[in-house]
Amino acid sequence: MMDGALMVELAPTRPGAHWLRSYGAMLRWEVVGSRLLYPLLLVSQVLVGAGFVVGFGLLIPELDRAAAQYLSTGAVVMSLILVGLVVTPQLVAQQKMQGSYDYVWSMPVPRSAASLATTTLAAVVAIPGIVAAMLVASWRYDVSLAIDPTVVPAFALTLACGSLIGSAIGHALDQPQVTMLVTQLGIFFIVGFSPVSFPADRLPGWLATLHEYLPMHHMALAVRSSLTDGLVVMTPRSWMILSLWTGAAALFTAVVLVRRR
Amino acid sequence: MTATTFDLRAPSEFGSWLDGYTSMLRFEIRNLRTYLTVGLAIQILLGAGMALMYGFYFGDVDSVQRTFLVTGIPTLALVPIGFVMVPNAIMEHKLRDTYDYVWSLPVPRSGSAMASATIFTCLALPGAAVALLIASLSYDVDLRVSWAAVPAVLFTSAIATSVGYAVGHAVPEPRVISLITNVVMFLVLLFSPIVVAIDQFPDWWAAVHKVLPFWHMSVVIRAGLTERMVSSSVTASYGALMAWGVAAWLVAAWVVGRRH
Repeated sequence: MMDGALMVELAPTRPGAHWLRSYGAMLRWEVVGSRLLYPLLLVSQVLVGAGFVVGFGLLIPELDRAAAQYLSTGAVVMSLILVGLVVTPQLVAQQKMQGSYDYVWSMPVPRSAASLATTTLAAVVAIPGIVAAMLVASWRYDVSLAIDPTVVPAFALTLACGSLIGSAIGHALDQPQVTMLVTQLGIFFIVGFSPVSFPADRLPGWLATLHEYLPMHHMALAVRSSLTDGLVVMTPRSWMILSLWTGAAALFTAVVLVRRR
Repeated sequence: MTATTFDLRAPSEFGSWLDGYTSMLRFEIRNLRTYLTVGLAIQILLGAGMALMYGFYFGDVDSVQRTFLVTGIPTLALVPIGFVMVPNAIMEHKLRDTYDYVWSLPVPRSGSAMASATIFTCLALPGAAVALLIASLSYDVDLRVSWAAVPAVLFTSAIATSVGYAVGHAVPEPRVISLITNVVMFLVLLFSPIVVAIDQFPDWWAAVHKVLPFWHMSVVIRAGLTERMVSSSVTASYGALMAWGVAAWLVAAWVVGRRH
């Protein structure tokens, strides 16, 4: 009897439970550690999401119904991509600059749990921006959304793919300044030169072809087709490309996380 | 004997100011050379890149709108230098603790201030020109460049630099500076009638832009690049910009003179 009880206490916990507990602990650690940063990120996400919809609406000379739909769903896609691709690597870069990066890795938690905690918080930060963009769109342009069930895989894949690529960048690049530069250029390319908020046929031919193989166009298709009716068609090929990118990014992130020192 | 007295005599006031000015010019150019190269790259990328990007968002637009877009590009290329790079360069001095060192140099502070303003005003020009060239080629727009473009661009650049200079010196906190510069860029890129006509905006927002400097900058530059494209008074825009310049130099003079 006594022996049995002792054995239970000393036995290592199941890997799943340990992982979950580590994930919860890292989540708390991140929230407490960056509690000053997150409200700022939240506010800027809301402003950027809403500002994007209103601002381009002001500038575009003749804003028709399709353009308004493109713009408002584009803002949602943009929030989802930017949180993963930009906020995640910048959070990692900030840890590196503050010197807490190695400290975090020295903690007795699985690296995947720590990394997922960062991503979870980044995703939470994205929500108000997305909601703001949608509210502003329906208020200013009377855009009615037709949400169908594919919204779940579309949002999940877009967010996962962006975050995985973002954390691969954040962890793989040693210099935080280089990470910042890469993410700045990334924003510029995604906002200005990716068919996220405008149809792909406005791009020069070679750039449109390039976007057939990059994830952004397919992310936009997935999210847009799940939010609107008859604007765009999501094809199995796009789902496949998006899944392939997500898988590849997951693999790459895993390699980077495991290999470090 | 006479040579000695000549050497020891204090130079004329203006001569000494000029000496200080040229030394600070050399000092700042060497100090900022990497930064200045990066600035040029940013300008060309932002200016020409934004020209293409607006085109993607706008879709099919007529030739008048294309001309508006292209002639707004030099303004877009000048704004980040004055409103972003200048305050950041000053911040850099503060962060590296060279800020007080510069003020401790035996040159008049006004000479030092003028040297910074000169450098950034001139730095902004080639980038603006290249961005305009790329934009006009990619939109196939026929520009009527007149001599009025030269003072317009120089004046705009000087005003942008002055306002940025005043902000950089007046705001002590680096975070606040970066907040201000981000807000300005957001405002300029998405909410300003620089690449589109101002009548496209709601009345109240257009009224705000008649106070802010950005629209006026685009007016004076556009007037130098086109004929009969600008319907508002160019003189009034020059006046508004002048007011911004005077205000900026008053603030800068007060902050720079008061320190320590």
